[in-house]
Amino acid sequence: MNNRREFLKTASSATLAALAAGAPNVTADSAPRSEWPTPKADSIILLWMAGGMAAPDTFDPKRYVPFDVGVPLEKIISTFPAIDTNVDGIKITEGLENVAKVMDRGTLIRTHKVADLGHILHSRHQYHWHTGYEPPITVAAPHIGSWVAKSLGPRNPAIPPFIDVGQVMSAGGETEALKAFHTAGFLGSEHGPFMIPNPDLAAKAVQPPAGMDAGRFSNRYKAFKKLAESSPIARHGSSYQRDSLLRSMENAYRILNDKKAASAFDISLEEKDSFAKYNTGEFGRGCLLARRLVEAGARFIEVTTGYYPFKKWDTHENGHTTVRQMKREIDQPIAQLILDLETRGLLDRTLVVLASEFSRDMIIEGVPGSSARDQSRAKTDVLKEMKHYGQHRHFTGSGSVLMFGGGIKRGFLYGETAEERPLLSVKNPVTIPDLHATIFHALGIPADHNYEIEKRPFYLTKDGKGKPIPALFA
Amino acid sequence: MRPYLVIIFISVLFSAGAVDFKKDIQPLLKNKCSRCHSGHEAKGDFSINTRDSLLKAAKPGDSGSSLLFQLITSKDPEERMPSKGEALTPKQVAMVKTWIDEGIVWPKDYSFAQWRKAPLAPRTVKLPPVKNGLKNPVDRLLQSYFNKKGVKQWKLVDDRIFLRRAYLDLIGLLPTPDQYRSFSEDRDSAKYEKVVDALLANDEHYMQHWISFWNDAFRNSYTRQYHGGNKYRLTNWLKTSLKANKPYDKFAHELISPNSGEQAAFIDGIKWRGTVNSSQVVEMQAAQNVAQVFLGLNLKCASCHDSFINSWTLDQSYAFASVFANAPMEKHRCDKPTGNKVSAGFLYPELGKVDPKASRKVRLKQLADLMTKKENGRFSRVIVNRLWASFFGRGLVDPVDEMDNEPWSSDLLDWLAQDFASNGHDLKRTMRLLATSQAYRLASVNPTPNQKPKDYTFKGPLTKRLRAEQLLDGLEQLGEAASPPPNRLAFKRHGLRNLDRLMRILGRPKRDQVATSRDPQPTTLQALELSNGEIMHKAVQRVGAKWASGKRTTDQLIEDLFQNAFLRRPTQKEKMLAASLLEAKPSNATVSDLVWAIILQPEFQLIH
Repeated sequence: MNNRREFLKTASSATLAALAAGAPNVTADSAPRSEWPTPKADSIILLWMAGGMAAPDTFDPKRYVPFDVGVPLEKIISTFPAIDTNVDGIKITEGLENVAKVMDRGTLIRTHKVADLGHILHSRHQYHWHTGYEPPITVAAPHIGSWVAKSLGPRNPAIPPFIDVGQVMSAGGETEALKAFHTAGFLGSEHGPFMIPNPDLAAKAVQPPAGMDAGRFSNRYKAFKKLAESSPIARHGSSYQRDSLLRSMENAYRILNDKKAASAFDISLEEKDSFAKYNTGEFGRGCLLARRLVEAGARFIEVTTGYYPFKKWDTHENGHTTVRQMKREIDQPIAQLILDLETRGLLDRTLVVLASEFSRDMIIEGVPGSSARDQSRAKTDVLKEMKHYGQHRHFTGSGSVLMFGGGIKRGFLYGETAEERPLLSVKNPVTIPDLHATIFHALGIPADHNYEIEKRPFYLTKDGKGKPIPALFA
Repeated sequence: MRPYLVIIFISVLFSAGAVDFKKDIQPLLKNKCSRCHSGHEAKGDFSINTRDSLLKAAKPGDSGSSLLFQLITSKDPEERMPSKGEALTPKQVAMVKTWIDEGIVWPKDYSFAQWRKAPLAPRTVKLPPVKNGLKNPVDRLLQSYFNKKGVKQWKLVDDRIFLRRAYLDLIGLLPTPDQYRSFSEDRDSAKYEKVVDALLANDEHYMQHWISFWNDAFRNSYTRQYHGGNKYRLTNWLKTSLKANKPYDKFAHELISPNSGEQAAFIDGIKWRGTVNSSQVVEMQAAQNVAQVFLGLNLKCASCHDSFINSWTLDQSYAFASVFANAPMEKHRCDKPTGNKVSAGFLYPELGKVDPKASRKVRLKQLADLMTKKENGRFSRVIVNRLWASFFGRGLVDPVDEMDNEPWSSDLLDWLAQDFASNGHDLKRTMRLLATSQAYRLASVNPTPNQKPKDYTFKGPLTKRLRAEQLLDGLEQLGEAASPPPNRLAFKRHGLRNLDRLMRILGRPKRDQVATSRDPQPTTLQALELSNGEIMHKAVQRVGAKWASGKRTTDQLIEDLFQNAFLRRPTQKEKMLAASLLEAKPSNATVSDLVWAIILQPEFQLIH
């Protein structure tokens, strides 16, 4: 303590002088450290590339070598050629031509660096990304959507504040881990996800149950309510629990009976031409649903490509072929989502984030020095057949993230990765806590915001230490 | 002018003697400084634990030359204290200034490092004499509590509310109208004891209800948890143990010092693939879970660093975790290895020791002996408190996992614990004591949200909400009631079913972590699921169809539904409302709608 104390003693003569002049006023004028930032966005759409989207084959093109039998894998980094975007100096890969045309509306981060959790399981890394905490931990950690729902509440009381689109809770041995982070955890189930596993059936989620028309549904609720009002128990006056039960039923009824909100959930009401632009698969239609919901006043929406082990972005073999299909699924809807939000004047107040639990590489599992077991199914040193061509190993040293709207810079590239393996983040690495802090900052929530559980504070970003990245904001 | 005004303002507010340590200073220091400068923490080698330690940075009578005061008023964000969180308000600064200038008043022996530690030893409590015919020891002890607190007591509920309470609390099922009729017609004054005894003697339904309580506590999931999760489950062991009413000391002993892979399922924890935080290795999970479930204490914080919320240290947690390990564990602080091995040791050395040199098997046996021995009064207090909370909605000590907190009646807690321990650790005996007390028959009380333990006065059981399993079993029971026996309870009870979406949303835990209570707060998502969720909808239609297919008149249908759901006749108004929903000729659809409207009534969902 001595050094610091000596230092402070000298430094504090000024303090003392200030004190003599009525220093308490100084503290009154100085801003509290965890003051809530001014929100730049009211809504957020998280586009989740579940299963590990390979950056070298999507948003971070490197040395491209076309398929040819006999080529050693170490010579190849990307399996797609680079294409220009509408921003000078930002190139992405073939198959993302539509996103390339909206690149001037957003920021591309290439250096999202995530933890290497040893045996690299998707669900654990997805848990980490979605909660900010590495599992397992001692309390049930809330999903990022629950943090937002709890901190900000709904924008429109007829739309649940946290909607999750596209994930079926079934992923073999990882099912339970998926469930473990699709929850509000200790924040309480009021803030949990409103799950819509299939966007095509979203309308059903806010409609009366199958076979019940609106009239019957409404009669049933009205009878429920009148019975509650006339119950002999009700004569005892108000009761906290009784009132909370009735309020929850009323909230549900409002959601299920709000025609405007219900039509937002119903993507079949979308005009034909517009629908077609999103109609690339469930993810594309999920993007359409997200747009409609943001228009109607949703707060947090996640749309995922869906995690299904060894399918979709989880390319342990046949990577090139599968990624080509995945790009077909995401390219047009993402671009259309950005354009539609812009046309409707919503992009400024809506943050769109695209992310994945980690990236992939052809050769390296995890990061150099990782103890992670090689999980590639296409084990070979040289290309022999097409299934060997692609990114088949998990890579945690860098990954790509897109951000649009919500005060984020336009036409901006952040971070730099190595040109040769290992493709590590060499400039401006972005960790999960800092990325989350940036998202929360855009939404007007300080990164050290916390709620108490078991007498200790539990923070939005791990230990409250996430720092928003100022360079990303316009 | 402004600074000058501020000084006047301050001097008016805080003239000499106006600052009170307990009211003004202690909470301020606690909020603003204690996280880094009290307990085990002494950042910058400075601690506010005692007046002496605080004097390192404060000079009595001279705030101006007190470093503490300089730091809280500093303009430099690098040096300003507190370094985390908001600065002190001018009012708070003024309070501290006055406090220092007045000589730093500090209550004798007060220390910020002190956490309440509940007594460990059992205590014999002398029962007050029987008064007003109240013979049950619970009531005898409560009578003096009520007198002291000035609570007007003993307003009892009627037979209908009592019976529903007893059935749901003891076996998790609704009483049938027949069961209620014979109970209400029974003129025997001992009928309350008789019905409680009969319910407790129903081993099968007792087990099917209480298994959920223990599954939550031992995080026993019927389905596979995670990659790498262990293959054994406690389910069959739990069923057998509950049906046999296995003495609780033996029950705990088998889990702590297991004789089979099945029994080991609790302490074996969940093995995650890959690297996990050092506070979550299976041995540490065992330490945390055994401490939480059987000792009602929180070792989670102290698994990473010395705790901020209680007196447990990192060394103590590692010593305890090492009991479950094959060899002494290396201590990690905040997940960083320290290079120090910590040999096995028990949390309460005053009760005895675990031999760090013995084999794991021997150590676990020693630990189980220590946990369950008579001198460990905490072991019994924890479980009787959990049972009290199950029946009365809130523990004698609250929360139930923080057993160092002060009980609202230590006489009641200590008497119940002592009675439990000296009568064979018989869970049903204590349940019987609670459920046959007049206290259990008191009118229910609305819970006050976020009430602090010190503000709580016991006036009767809290109104409870049906758990997921109880609500859905109740719906099934209502379905069976449509056609008379012998089909009674032919359905598989929800406590024995795998977790589904509906139960998950209604609050049944995933059981990847120890859960000793459920959140009773109703939520919009639950109401949505109950209103249009597929599982619920199908169940309601099934029950509705059963009622619609009978030969009842509309009038009889309404009467019977109300009798089965609420154990009472519908009022005229209710009859009219129900009839208008059923329409002229009741159909599957309209009857289902009435069933739905009935079972979601607060009167059905709450235990009054």
